[in-house]
Amino acid sequence: MMEDISMHVMDIAMNSLAAGAQRLEIAVVESHRHDFLIVRVRDDGRGMDATTLTRVLDQRTTSKQSRKKNIGLGLAMLRQTCEMCGGNFHVRSAPGQGTSVTASMQLSHVDRPPLGDLNSTILALCAANNKVDVQLKYRTDKEAFQFSSRELHQ
Amino acid sequence: MNLDELKKLKEKAQRHVALREGNKKYRVVVSMGTSGIAAGARDVMTTMLDEIEKRGIDDVEVTITGEIGLVDAEPVVRIEEANGEKTTYANVNAEGARQIVSQHLETGKKVEMLAVGKVKEA
Repeated sequence: MMEDISMHVMDIAMNSLAAGAQRLEIAVVESHRHDFLIVRVRDDGRGMDATTLTRVLDQRTTSKQSRKKNIGLGLAMLRQTCEMCGGNFHVRSAPGQGTSVTASMQLSHVDRPPLGDLNSTILALCAANNKVDVQLKYRTDKEAFQFSSRELHQ
Repeated sequence: MNLDELKKLKEKAQRHVALREGNKKYRVVVSMGTSGIAAGARDVMTTMLDEIEKRGIDDVEVTITGEIGLVDAEPVVRIEEANGEKTTYANVNAEGARQIVSQHLETGKKVEMLAVGKVKEA
């Protein structure tokens, strides 16, 4: 089980990298006023067709051909966390169109995992890839912050 | 999570990205599949990056890979040398990560306590 949301983000982002994404956008909106937390991971990777999409939400599915026993819990675990915390979970994807994973939770929900160390997630993603543009958009009721790894190479 | 922390992110990312340029003697591959992350692979990786930076080692490239099938041994770190020799470390924690950097990457001496299997000759 993932300890916090930043680890879920890392996990979902790894899927994007495996799908050959060139651009990876992580958006986090934390609203105390409306009592929600939304996390969206969007990429321009190769996407999934409808059959794969229904399968990945099932536990024990992986896109890896080499695995004989199908494992792969990433999306299923995030969905479970969302549903446990009074939120919703959506995956939108089409072949060649990239994938967008949106997870929402009730911010004040007693079971909601902490946001965790989102910085480490971004740092690990940036350090491991200099070809992928990793973007972070973080917004609260009062403040907003943006980061793009593309800026680092200029 | 606060905004000041996020602002530091830019500087830090800049330094870590700089680590990737040029020819490297060692390539560190951290297994970052679902099981790896759940076992703490991300923090192992950031600890290694920090330690590499602190010690000023510049012939190392740190990268990540997906699930490698050693689920019960996660977090797994593999070190590939320029001559093709590979060493796999299992059950690495923050302390182990620092040890790998200070011994294997800095002085070339393997951390045998954490290594698994036999040394694979190229």
